[in-house]
Amino acid sequence: MKITRTTAALASLGIAALTLAGCSSAGASTEGSTSDTETAASGPVTLDYWGWAPNMQKVVDIWNKANPSIQVKYTEAAGASDLPPKLLSAERAGNGPDVAQAEYQKLPSLVVGGVVKDITDNVKSFKSEFTDSSWASTTLNGAVYAVPQDAGPMMMFYRADLFAKYGLDEPKTWADFATAAEKIHAADPSVYLGTLPQDGGTFTGLVQQAGGNWWTADGDKWKVSIGTSPSTDVADYWQKLAKTGALYTQPFLTPEWNKLVADGKILTWSAGVWAPGVIESVAPDTAGKWAAAPLPQWKSGDVNTGFMGGSAVFITKSSKHPVESAKFLEWLNGSTEGSGYLASISNIYPASIAGQAGLASASVPTLMSAQTDFYSIAAEVSAHTAKVTWGPNVQTAFDAFSDKLQAAQTGGTSFSDALKTVQDLTVADLEKNGFTVER
Amino acid sequence: MSSTVSSVRRPDVKVSPKARKGSLQPRVAPWMFVAPALALFMAFLLIPILYAVYLSFTRLKVTTGGAFGARTQVFVGFDNYVLSLSDPELLASLRRLATFGIISVPLTLGLALAFALLLDLPQIRYGRFSRTAIFLPYAVPGVIATLLWGFLYLPSTSPFNYVSRALGLGDINFLGLPGLYGSLANIAVWGGLGFNMIVMYTALRSIPGEIYEAATIDGANEWQVAWRIKIPLMTPALVLTFLFSLIATLQAYGEPQTLKSLTSTISFTFFPLMKVYRDAFGNDDVAGAAATSVVLAIGTLVISLLLLRVLQRRAFGEEK
Repeated sequence: MKITRTTAALASLGIAALTLAGCSSAGASTEGSTSDTETAASGPVTLDYWGWAPNMQKVVDIWNKANPSIQVKYTEAAGASDLPPKLLSAERAGNGPDVAQAEYQKLPSLVVGGVVKDITDNVKSFKSEFTDSSWASTTLNGAVYAVPQDAGPMMMFYRADLFAKYGLDEPKTWADFATAAEKIHAADPSVYLGTLPQDGGTFTGLVQQAGGNWWTADGDKWKVSIGTSPSTDVADYWQKLAKTGALYTQPFLTPEWNKLVADGKILTWSAGVWAPGVIESVAPDTAGKWAAAPLPQWKSGDVNTGFMGGSAVFITKSSKHPVESAKFLEWLNGSTEGSGYLASISNIYPASIAGQAGLASASVPTLMSAQTDFYSIAAEVSAHTAKVTWGPNVQTAFDAFSDKLQAAQTGGTSFSDALKTVQDLTVADLEKNGFTVER
Repeated sequence: MSSTVSSVRRPDVKVSPKARKGSLQPRVAPWMFVAPALALFMAFLLIPILYAVYLSFTRLKVTTGGAFGARTQVFVGFDNYVLSLSDPELLASLRRLATFGIISVPLTLGLALAFALLLDLPQIRYGRFSRTAIFLPYAVPGVIATLLWGFLYLPSTSPFNYVSRALGLGDINFLGLPGLYGSLANIAVWGGLGFNMIVMYTALRSIPGEIYEAATIDGANEWQVAWRIKIPLMTPALVLTFLFSLIATLQAYGEPQTLKSLTSTISFTFFPLMKVYRDAFGNDDVAGAAATSVVLAIGTLVISLLLLRVLQRRAFGEEK
């Protein structure tokens, strides 16, 4: 009886395992075909598009109406920070989409994760629709991996009416910003000039403005510069300012932050050009009272800025219709028509040349309705953005940065030391994944 | 089947040859009944666990050179386990979990026991309403409960802070350290109280009433009845709820993860399971996360077995 029971148990385990193996789809996806063998499909094709840009479904509907042979099925699969893990899991399981949106900073980790198709040949026909520096954000080691969609050069958005009330001028340097912060906080302790940049996205944008880059690729090797100047200089500045109590020290876009912004207790937000739409959605009653300005500079007279966010759209390795996907992406991101819809319907700042040119005649966001030259300031800022390289483990570094900086803020320890710890963790993670790091 | 029935109906008839044929036949029926549960267990529990253990011995690594080479699966032996056990973040998260557990487990079980005993009193009024009211928070899904409490904790939306500010006492720091542990424990107690109370109450209801009559005749008051008779007789239920609470605390994830978006005090690795989630989906290191989760599972298993071994006599001694 003992033998029968054990044999029966083993037999049923084996049968179940075989059945499940048979049920699951085939394992590793086959390599994407090269452009030599790529041909357009004959007959109507449906593309799956995963993204998060607001109102994208409306833009996709316009395309679908005009292109019955290439239909696009849009899914708002997840937000900007949640989409990469979803994509990796789905692609590895064989259920991924044809095209997907990804932030510029996450693109290298997706490439390294093996889910992005090399589209250098597919985009040859519309290379001229973007500037070289736009393509630089989606080109790694000479190969193009995505089509830029929107750009996020950093600017400072501030409450013009409250600045007037407190007698403040638009800060042109970071020294001015610090003076203004202390002045406001002395006048009314419940009001903050700005928020402590404790998320990787904002902080790296500020580091880029100061001329630094957390990752640089030197041939086959990576160099990580998180715990060195100018990254530590930026951290020291913000730590000094936070110590005076003049900054709001919790993360932005939380319910608490939203309420403070709506009540006029936080007067500025330094973020990408896409910020007006976001501010309006969390504080609609403040529409018309804001203004935009270039970021305060380190040296008076400079015009530098960094990137915060901004995204591109890539074609997945498992896509069966790369030719049609490239056609759709050319219309969506590169053409005058598509970029125009991205700006007017999705409220994003398009990366394409035609898109940015088209904005010159567009009406400014309602958030800053009084500032009619918003788009020319944005174009000016955009022209002076730093050149950025992103490493293959951006999310790891960003998470570690948030944790360590927040711990340093609550514990009162040095931000520079926190950055050095983040540097060690990032380098260790790169080496664990088999990359060579220049020490 | 029919042969079995007919042999039951007419015992004087010889057992039909079919029934006597293979010694396996009577044993097929139980297996068939168990088969659906067995299939689900294997599909959703056993095979994923085995796959996770397999993954924990691999890693996605760049093998071909280059700054942007693609990562492929490589066998790394026990390296993931070494890294996981030597990670100071894991130890720190376990320490934080212990602080949380020390507050939430005794409070949950203590209050559940108190409510169960109170509801078992003969002179209880509105018993059914109280039972439902105490059980209701358990029915609220964890994430929603956490968001609900989160807004009650946030300085600008909290009614408690509104009251304390009106009284001139300033803000109560629910979401900063050290108040955060109490706030998290509060959510856990609020949600877990009902279930534990029902388990204990059911155990109390199954105690025969004659024991109480005997005790009252001997001159015992309610307090002595509770302490000397009810609690000792509900020991199996107490041990069970304690074990379940312990396991649930070791797996605490929903509350801190949902509260994380409301406060900067909660890091990505605040509790062990948050670290596992971050490793798997933030760092794209599923293998390392698998190793950490195997370590946690083995730890939970060891603690549970030790606990049962120590309390076995008390919990199940009567039935042995």
